Order: sequence, then structure tokens, then C-alpha cells
Amino acid sequence: MSASTETEQELARVVEPGVTALAVTAHVSGLVLERRTPLWWWVGFGLAFGLFVLFLAAVGWLFIRGVGIWGIDWPIAWGFAIGNYVWWVGMASGGTLISALFFLTRSDWRSATSRIAETMTVFCVACAGIMPVIHLGRWWYFYWLFPYPNTMALWPQFRSPLHWDFVAILVYVAGSLLFWYVGLLPDFATLRDRARRRWQRIFYGLLALGWQGSSQHWRQFRMLYGLFAALMAPLVCSIHSIVGLDFAGGLTPGWHETQFPPYFVFGAALSGFAVVLMLVIPLRRALELTGVITLRHIDVLARLMLTASLLLSYCYLIEVFMPFYRGEEREITVMTSLLTGYYAPWYWAKIVLNGLVPQLLWIRPLRLNRPLLFLVALCVVIGMWIERYVIVVGSLHRNHSESSWFVFVPTVWDWATLAGSVGLFLTGFFLALRFIPMVSMFELRDLLHKKQAGGGR
Amino acid sequence: MTARKELAERIEGKLAGRSGRSLWRSLDELAREPAVLEMLHAEFPGLPDLAEARVGRRRLLELMGASFALAGLTGCGPGEAAEEATPYVTMPPGLVPGVARHVATAVSRGGYADGVLVVQQMGRPVQLEGNPDHPASLGALDPIIQAGILDLYDPDRSRTVLKAGRAASTNGMLKALVDRLPALAADGGGGLRLLTGTVTSPTLARQVAALKRRFPAMQWHRWEADGRDALRAGALLAFGRPVDTVLHLDRAKTILAIESDFLDGAPGHLHYARDFARRRRAAGEGRPEEMSRLYAIESSPTLAGARADHRFAARPDEIEATVRALAAELGAGPAAWRQDAPGWLAAVARDLSASRGAALVHAGPAQPPAVHALVHAINDALGAPGRTVTYIEPVEADPVDHGDSLKGLVDDMAAGRVDTLLILGANPVFTAPADLDFARALAKVPLSVHLGTAPDETAMLCTWHVPEAHELERWSDLRAFDGTVTIQQPQTRPLWGGWSPHELLAVLDGETRPDGHAIVRATWMERFQGKGDADRLWDDALRLGIVPDSAAAPLSASLLPALSDRLPPPPASTGGGTLTALFRPDPWLRDGRYANLGWLQELPRPFTTLTWDNALLIAPATAERLGLKNEDVVELRSAAGTLRAPVWRLAGHAPDCVTLPFGFGRKVVGRVGHDVGFDAFRLRRLDQLWQLPGVELRKTGETHRLAATQHHQMIDSPDVVRHATLDAFRRDPGFAKRKEPEHSLYPPYEYPRNAWGMAISLDACIGCNACTAACQGENNIAVVGKEEVLRNRQMHWIRIDTWYEGEAAAPDQTLFQPMTCMHCENAPCEVVCPVAATMHDADGLNVMVYNRCVGTRFCSNNCPYKVRRFNYFNYSADDNRLPMSWNPDVSVRARGVMEKCTYCVQRIRNARIAADRENRPIRDGEVKTACQQACPAEAIVFGDLNDPDSAVSRRKASPLDYGVLTDLNTRPRTTYQARLRNPNPEIREV
Repeated sequence: MSASTETEQELARVVEPGVTALAVTAHVSGLVLERRTPLWWWVGFGLAFGLFVLFLAAVGWLFIRGVGIWGIDWPIAWGFAIGNYVWWVGMASGGTLISALFFLTRSDWRSATSRIAETMTVFCVACAGIMPVIHLGRWWYFYWLFPYPNTMALWPQFRSPLHWDFVAILVYVAGSLLFWYVGLLPDFATLRDRARRRWQRIFYGLLALGWQGSSQHWRQFRMLYGLFAALMAPLVCSIHSIVGLDFAGGLTPGWHETQFPPYFVFGAALSGFAVVLMLVIPLRRALELTGVITLRHIDVLARLMLTASLLLSYCYLIEVFMPFYRGEEREITVMTSLLTGYYAPWYWAKIVLNGLVPQLLWIRPLRLNRPLLFLVALCVVIGMWIERYVIVVGSLHRNHSESSWFVFVPTVWDWATLAGSVGLFLTGFFLALRFIPMVSMFELRDLLHKKQAGGGR
Repeated sequence: MTARKELAERIEGKLAGRSGRSLWRSLDELAREPAVLEMLHAEFPGLPDLAEARVGRRRLLELMGASFALAGLTGCGPGEAAEEATPYVTMPPGLVPGVARHVATAVSRGGYADGVLVVQQMGRPVQLEGNPDHPASLGALDPIIQAGILDLYDPDRSRTVLKAGRAASTNGMLKALVDRLPALAADGGGGLRLLTGTVTSPTLARQVAALKRRFPAMQWHRWEADGRDALRAGALLAFGRPVDTVLHLDRAKTILAIESDFLDGAPGHLHYARDFARRRRAAGEGRPEEMSRLYAIESSPTLAGARADHRFAARPDEIEATVRALAAELGAGPAAWRQDAPGWLAAVARDLSASRGAALVHAGPAQPPAVHALVHAINDALGAPGRTVTYIEPVEADPVDHGDSLKGLVDDMAAGRVDTLLILGANPVFTAPADLDFARALAKVPLSVHLGTAPDETAMLCTWHVPEAHELERWSDLRAFDGTVTIQQPQTRPLWGGWSPHELLAVLDGETRPDGHAIVRATWMERFQGKGDADRLWDDALRLGIVPDSAAAPLSASLLPALSDRLPPPPASTGGGTLTALFRPDPWLRDGRYANLGWLQELPRPFTTLTWDNALLIAPATAERLGLKNEDVVELRSAAGTLRAPVWRLAGHAPDCVTLPFGFGRKVVGRVGHDVGFDAFRLRRLDQLWQLPGVELRKTGETHRLAATQHHQMIDSPDVVRHATLDAFRRDPGFAKRKEPEHSLYPPYEYPRNAWGMAISLDACIGCNACTAACQGENNIAVVGKEEVLRNRQMHWIRIDTWYEGEAAAPDQTLFQPMTCMHCENAPCEVVCPVAATMHDADGLNVMVYNRCVGTRFCSNNCPYKVRRFNYFNYSADDNRLPMSWNPDVSVRARGVMEKCTYCVQRIRNARIAADRENRPIRDGEVKTACQQACPAEAIVFGDLNDPDSAVSRRKASPLDYGVLTDLNTRPRTTYQARLRNPNPEIREV
């Protein structure tokens, strides 16, 4: 047997040989219930929490002083907050795509990674949801965007993309959270049943909502889960389309583009897969999950990332092509400025990081080189933040009114909010690592059962 | 002084080592000592003798009770009541809370009157508007006068008498003055000196004359740093007598402006701007033959230069040579002067003589007397006197050469010949030429009393500083550029007490409780004598804001012969390598007296759009040669000293010279103006007031950030500002029109009542920023400070975009475009606001509901004109201005809220209420926006588009009418009328 066929075979396996359903359940539940909290967790959590405190400080000062602490100015009235929002919500798409879209396609590689991805989604969405609220000049009135009955008989402006966005993000937050929680129910019941300590029994017992594993429960569970998946898969497209419309709905040159909705969906998918990879690669070692998260998973995710990068690069090409094709003077001005002006370094960074670096993944050995893959994913995650930054500020700084042309210079509070939001995400994620099974035990049991019944793949 | 010291030592000795009961006992003993009693009496002259004030226990309790009961009354008004003020026991008929009243008065600028109407709400002045009946205003106002209301309410104003910079009693000051009187009377007032700025007040002149009768040897000195000495000297050269020149731009067809300030600083500039703009608009209004042609030659750019059809940048020495050559060309000078005249000069001379009788030449105050004398000769040769210019007796009372006058004073002070100096409303310690060293001479004056509205540099160095009543708080009178008199009447009781100059002078005249009202009234009762019912004339003058028919009569001044022989020799050419520094007033701070007014600090300077700083202005080519970029700090070295200043490249500046705007760098000033900019006065010398040749610039390697409000000034897309020459317009009257986009799919709005709209004529706009300032005052627009302007967060609702066409180094054209909310029919901001905080209203306004705004700022992003402003911080609350200074008709916006031009919706609503009460439609012209009202050039017209005969509809019917960015189908309600130029075909484009 040649080496390459060996790799072929290795790459075909979604579960390493010898892994049993019982062993998986015992290992995964043991991680939560019994394992002593390892040192790396404490270190990671400590760093994350430090950043989270920074976030609290940044937001606290923001609440005291106002959005003027950021670098936003006139005419660039949107800055980091909006860029961060799009970035976080884009990364959140990774979890939803993997758990909902690939659930619908019945992809067997999904089971082992779905929990990590979904948990990531939940905390990404939390970061994303906060951004547009703190971005408001008067954040304490954020609920005015919601069409609630009120004594003033005032409704929101239903024509505003920001209102659509508010509804979309609200639905997405609710959907992601419920989808995640519903998918956790059988596992919570497992934890409850295997728990030895009293607090664990109460804690997971409450979370399990009285799950008994009866066939009635399973039947309704499957139906609900399928419904959610069917709902979330199109939702992930719609939310990013609407995020795209936040910009395309405006008439600012550089924003007013019909391609923005798919452009944003592709960008979201790219960053989503990248961040899933960044989590899966270290976690499969740290949580000793190499048996169920195999090279095949890594390979599939890498290829998905490459695909998304190609789709996005296509959008980048169109973005450059269209202004010149249309001959629209102001759009050409924006484009020329991006290519050569003040924001050109950022623009070219986004092209390199999102478009060129992922092209390495055409080569299988590179794809399977985990440290390299991790770096590529990191490049993409950074690149995607830069992309949003360039979209937000690059267009505004070359708007219709030449006399207002100016640049955006971020302040220390802009950076603190960005870094702090990473802290918020990591703090949440580390807590989830400690208290939530990071692999869907029941799905793996199911998968192993099917594999055994089918004699392996 | 020594007696005081001795006493203090003795008291200290008596008290030394004592404590407790024995200390108190010895204090008691001390209080009975005659020396102490004497000192107390000197310190508190109003205090009755303790022995006389025998108050029994019962009486004391009664008094205490009464004062306790009456204590609340002190809250009824500030300080000492004006004698004539009566409280509203019965409210005057017609006074409705919330309905403004207008009271006429005048505010001075450099001593000359600008007539204003003070808008009063329940007796509280809230705003200044121009007085349409006043010749210097015609209803318009410049930014400086408008900021007068902020000056009135400036919390940093002087509130108490200061003695050597420390709070002291008014009585002490009075005593010091009165005690000096016998000594002064003894020697005829030889040591008594008076120093003022330019004075046009007849009452002040009368008082000084009266004082001079009492103290024949006293002297009255004048110093105005931003003064017009050169004009006076020029008139003396030409006519042998001082005259003031009044321009008639409405009759001028061909004008030559020699670094002229007729559009921005000259007394009467608002009047001139109106006359000028009317003739410029004529072509667009169907009378192209009336359109005037303006030539300008200047070193430092002026507004007149920006509006010139041909503008020539030249060094100061080149200017004088050119003016000499022009005089020769027109037969007003020897032919020898014609050598090395620039090529264009002959064409200009031909054009000027071709419009003989309708030609006008005017030079600014920074030009030397020789230029002014030549201008008189040229005007004479062009037949201008009596037609485009008239000469009048100088408006300034008892005109003198300010430079000589100040020098005389300083020499006398330094020689110890001055023992009593009264400085009325001037700040010579800051503004006097540095070589005089006024401060050192001042230290030798035993008694110096400074009267000023704020504690300034001079106040700190005088023995006494007396708070001055603001011009809106006192009785006085002033004359305008043409001699018209306005009687200033107080609009409020002095907020912090305060004396008027008349009252202080009256103290010298022996009055202990002077009454400003009586003093001013006495002047006019005397003058009205024999002209009818004097009381009635007085009342009329107060009501109208002018004394009717008080304008100076034109006089005929004839040129003295042999002018060319009497002219000082022309300056040596400074060309080639060496630099000349030009001293020019900052357009808003002038000589620094307005430095504490946030509106003016933050109002963008014309051309540079700089705020909160002055900069060394330099031509781009010269900067290139010296390797200087904007914001580089240079060290300027000269014979007069060195100075560090940041550099700003100014397109259109003459090469080989740099402009140093003065008025900045105040050291003793309120919180707003403290430590802003550099002090150019430090290099100013008496014999080189306006220019300092032979300066060197050395790069320091440091930078100083400068807060400009416009960062991109070269026109890239010609569509925003449309312009053409008069000939091109004649060939193609529709040059400004573009294909309108198709209409929206949405049904149009319907406006059964009014459809408000605005028209802005670029042909008229002179770029003076009066609209921006007026808007700031009317609409309670916050001042944000330099740091915030550096972040481009200024809040002005209307801005003047300044555009250069052609080469950056020497632009062909400077164009001004006031930009404000266009109130689009299809407003891009409205659809993107998620909470519907910005809406279309029933009259077509695009309104902003502050209370509904959550601050997403999408509206600003989506506004193609970028006219929306956001409260990034709580700017209004952070401002230290007095709460009573806000306009009560307009909401003060809080943090996190978007704001923008409302078309002065509060004025529309007021007019609507008035019209509804009278059951009639709103009349055309009844609603004037603040910007429209302030505009001296009538560039802005506002009104109802439903009415085809309204002024705004007529303006919009002009072939020059166009909308900005209409290709976006925004359908703006504010449209522009394109600018026309009237170049001389004989002159090739430079």
C-alpha cells in the first residue's frame, strides 16, 4: 500500500478505527464532568478574561462620554463598531453553515465539529449583537428600532436597511441560541445522568429540561432540529445579504453596489470556516478528540475555506471592474483611492490575506499541515476584518462631497473595543469549553451506529 | 503707601505673641486707634462712622428682620439698577412671553458703528440682527458683530474692579481718581493722559473737549492696531487734509482693488458688499451690461481678490510700483513711473479710463500712504469723485495719526511726564508695536486706570482695572462709515456692574455718581436744539437706530499740485530670495479683542478654513522652495526678533512674502482664547506696521497641528460649482443646466400650503462667512474646540466651501459655495433612518426630530452633500457659555443626536402663527432664514416655491439656476445660481 493511498484512506475516515460510541460518550462527558481543569485552560481563560475586562472598561467609558471617544468623524461617521459587527456576524456564519446547511445535506463529517462551530457562533453573535447597539449615539434607546406598539403611535422606518438589519440580527441571535440549545438537550441529559456531583446533577438536570430519551422525545427532537436547520440555513444567507444591504442601501459610492448581498455571504462563509479551523485545530489535540475529529474534517474545512476565498475573490474582481465598466466617475474615484490612496495598504492587505494566501490550500500537503493551516485561517480572519474596515471607511472618505473628504484615524478606544470584543468571545468560549460537551455525543453515537451498520465507509 | 506699611508693621508688632483673650482685647484696642480708623475710612469711604451709627438693640432687630424679609428682592435683577428702568408692574401692551421684540442700537467694530436690531425675549437680549435702516448694515451683519451677543454673556468678563490685578473696591478706585483731581487741576492736567481706540462717539468727543477746558494741558492719545492711519496719511498727502472716502460700488463699472478690504474689513463693508453683489448679479438677472468688472492686485489674498475677474498676486513693492505706473498711464504721474509696469497694466488702464466716471480704485489699510495718495490721484483722473467715491469729513473724532499719538504717549510715560493715565477700552500692552515696549513705560505711570470688558494684558499692568459695561449694556453713541449716528441704548442692565467710558470720564470731570444716560442725552438735547421737539427726536433716534440725516455731507477735496514730488520714495525692490513678512489682522479676532469668543475662534477663516490657530501663510511655490509643508513649525528671524509659527500654504499668496495674522497669542484672556496661536505683534514695529522686510525662515523640525475644516480644495469635478465667463453665458445661457434624471417611481409629495425653498447665488457670494456665524447664533450650534475640529467634528450647519481652479500655486479662480442642507425632495437621509427621526414635512422641509434620534449616523453617511452634523460628545453641555445666552426658540441638542440645517423652522413657525392669527397666507419675504438675513451680498433667498412670484421662485427661474448632485435624483430644494466672470478680453489668462 503506497503512502498516498494510505493518506487517501486516512482522509476518507470521519472516525478513526477503534472508536466506539461508548468510549466517545465517556471521553466527552468526562471532559466536562470529571477532568481536572487543565493549566492551558486557566492560562487561556485568564488572558481572555483580561481582554474582557478591557472591553468592559472601553464600553464603560463609552457610556460615560459618548461615541466621540472613537475616531469617527465627519464624513466618516461609521468606524470600527460597524466593521467589528460585520466581522463578528460573518464569523458566526461558520457554525450555522456547518450545523444547519451540512445537516440538511446529511454530510457525515459534520457531526464531530458541529458543536465547536455552533458554540463559536453563539459567542460571535453575542459580540456582533453588542456592536450596533454601542455604536448608537444614544444606545439606551436602541429598542426604538423594534416595531413595538407605543403611546406615540410611532413605527420604525420600514424602508431603512438598518431596521431590516435590526430584525435580521435579532432573529439570527434568537435562532442561533435556540438551535444550539436544542442540539444540546440530549447531551445535557447524558451529562445529568453521568454526573457524580450534586451541583452537576442539578445544573445539567435543569438544562436538560426533563429529557428522557423516549422515542417520543427523539421523534419530536428530530422534527424540531430539522426545522431549525431548515430555517437557519437560509437565514445565514439572508442575514449576510441584509448586512450587505446596510451598505448597498445607501447611495455612497463604493457601497451602492448590487453585488453586495452575495459578496457579504461569501465573505461571511470564508471567515466562518477560517475561525472554525482556528478552533478545531488546537482543540482536537487539547481535548484529545483526534479520534473523532480526523484529518478528513480538517481537509473538508480547508477546502471549504478555499472555495469561499475563490468566491470572494470573484467579488473583489467585480468590485474593481464595475466602476470602470459603468464609467461612473465617483465610483472610479473611490476605487482609485482604494487602489492607490490613503487606504491602499489596507486594501492590498485584504486582497493578499483573503484572496492570495488561501490559494496555498490547493496543495494537499499544505492543507494537511495543521500549523500552516492555522496560520492561513488566522490570515483570513484578520483579512476579513480589514475588508470590512476598508468597506466602511474607504467609501465614506471619498464620498460625493469633495469638500468633506477626510480620513478616519482610530483612537486607542477603537482598538480597545476591538480587542475587548475578542476577549468577550474567548471568555464565553472558554467557559463553554469547561461546562459544555464540545462534541455532540448523541450524534456521534448515531454516526458510529450507522457506520457499523453500513460496515464503515 | 509707606504710611500703610508702617501701620501694618505696627499692628503686627502689637499682635505678636498674643493669643486667645488677650489677642481679641488688643484687636479691640487697635480698632479704636485713630490711624486704623483713618485707614478704614480710606478703604471704605462709603462706610459711616461707627460712632454715628448708634443702633439700639430693638432697632437692630428691626433692621435685621427687614433685611431678612427683603433679601429676596436682590434676586430681582443684577447689581445697581439703571435709573430709568421700571419693573413690569403692569406688563407693557404687546409684550407676549415667547414673542421676540427688536430694539435698535449699534455695535462698534474698530470704532465704527454697525447698526443692529437686538432680538429680545422678555427683556433679555438673545441675538443680534442687522438694522435694515442703518447704512452700514442694511440688515446684514458680519460674524464679528454677531458674536457680540456671545461677548455680552461671556462668563470670563470682568466682574470687579482690580487693583494691581487683585479684586478691589470701586470706591477705592474712585477715591484714587478723585484724590488726584486737585493736583491735576493745579498744573492744568499736564500729567493727565487719555488713551482710546478709534473714537467716533460725539458724546465722548464732547466729554474730552469739556475735560480739556478743565485740564488744558491734558492729551488724548489714540491707538488702533488694526487701524487706518495709512488712509489718513494718504489723504493728507493728496489733499492736504484728512478726509474719509465713501465708495459707491453701485455706480462702479470698473474697479481696481489694491489689496482692498472693501468686502471684509473696511468700515461700511457690508454696504459695499451689497452694492457690489447687486452689480455682479445683474448679468444673471438679465442686465448683462450692468455687470461690473473687478481687478485686484494684492500680496495677501482678500475677499475682493477672490471675487476679481483678474487677480494679480504681487509683492508689496511691486504693488506700489504698479500703482505708480497706473497713475502715469492715466496721466496722474510722471511718465518715468511707467517703466517696468506689468504687461497687463495698459489694458487695465484703458479699461478704467473707458469707464470714466464709473471707475473706482480702492486700496486697503495695509498699503503705504503713497499708494493711498496715488489712488486719490488716479480716482481724480478717472472722474471718480462725486460719482463712485465721495469725500467726507473724517468720521473719527479729532483724527490723529495713531502711530505718532501712541509714540508720544509712550515717550512721555517713559520720561515720567504722565502721572494719570486712563485707558478706555484699549489693550495697548498687547497691541502696541513691540519696539515701543508699552508695558515698561506703563510701569512708570503712578496712576493708570484701565477700563475694559475683560481683564486683559493691560488690565493686569495698570494700577486699576475697571469693568466696562458692554456696548449692549450702556448708553453711548457711535458713527458709521458715512457719518450716520446711532445712539446706543442699553439692552440689559449691566450683568456684572460695569462702567461706560462716558461715566468714567465724568468722574474726572468731578461727577461722583455719573449717569451715562444723562451724559449721552445731554449731547443730543444740545444738538437737537432748534430742530423741533428734542424729546421726540431723541425717541425717534432710539427707535430707528439712527439719527436721521446725520450722515456727513460730501465735501469737495481738490488734489494738491505736484503730488509726485511729495511722495515718499518708493520702497526698494525686495524681490529675489529674501522674504518680507506682512502683518495682517486675523479676519475674526482683528487686534485680538475677540479672542475669547468661541464662535469666532471656530469660524473657518476664508481661504485657509483654519480654526483655533493662526498660521504663517505662504505661497505654495515659496514653500516648495524652502521645503516647507503645512503644519511645519518654522522659526522666523528678523531684525525685530524671532518668532515660531506653523506654516500654511495658501494658494494665491504672493511669492517671496509671508503673512503673519495678528490677534492671536493672547496671554491674559478668558478660558476660550487662552494660549491660542502665536503673537505676531511681537515683531511689529512702529515704522514697519504692515510689513517687515528681510525675514528668514528656518525649519525647526517640529510640527503643530492646525485645525482646518476643508482638506480638499482643488476642483476635481466641475459640476458642483458651475461658472462661466459673461461671454460664454451670452453664447450659451443654459451652460449651467444638465439633463435632469427621470422621476422617481414613488408618487410626488403634494404641498397644498407652502413649499419652502432656497436659492443661493454664487455670483453674489463673497465668501465672508456671515451666514455660518448667523446660523451658529440663531440655531444654538455648539462650539466644539480645536481637538474636535482636528477630528473634523465641527458643527456648523452651513459651511463655505472654497474651491480653487487651475494651478494650486497660482489659481485662476477662487470660488465660494455655501453648503447647507438641500432639503431634498427625495432625501437619501430619510429612507435610511431606522427610527424615522428625519422626515419630510407638510411644507417640504426635511426635518430632524432630535428627540427621536438614536444616533445611527446612517443619514450622515447617506447624505451626498455631507451637511449633517453629529453630537459626538455633549458639546452644548460642555460649553461654558451662560445658559441665558442660548436662543430660547431652538432646542439645544444633547449628546448622540444628529443635527442639520432646518431652514430656520422656528422662524417659519413664528410666521405661520402670525399669519394664521391674521387669517392670511405667509407673505413673501416674511420668513427670512438667519443666513439669508446676515448675508450682506443678498446671495441667499428663501421663500415659497408654490408662489411663482416669490423672490426665490424668480431666482430659480434664472437660466443660471442649477442643483448640486441632481444626477442622484435627490431633487434638492436649495439650488444655486452659477457664477459669472467678466474678464477683460484684452488680458490673457495669467
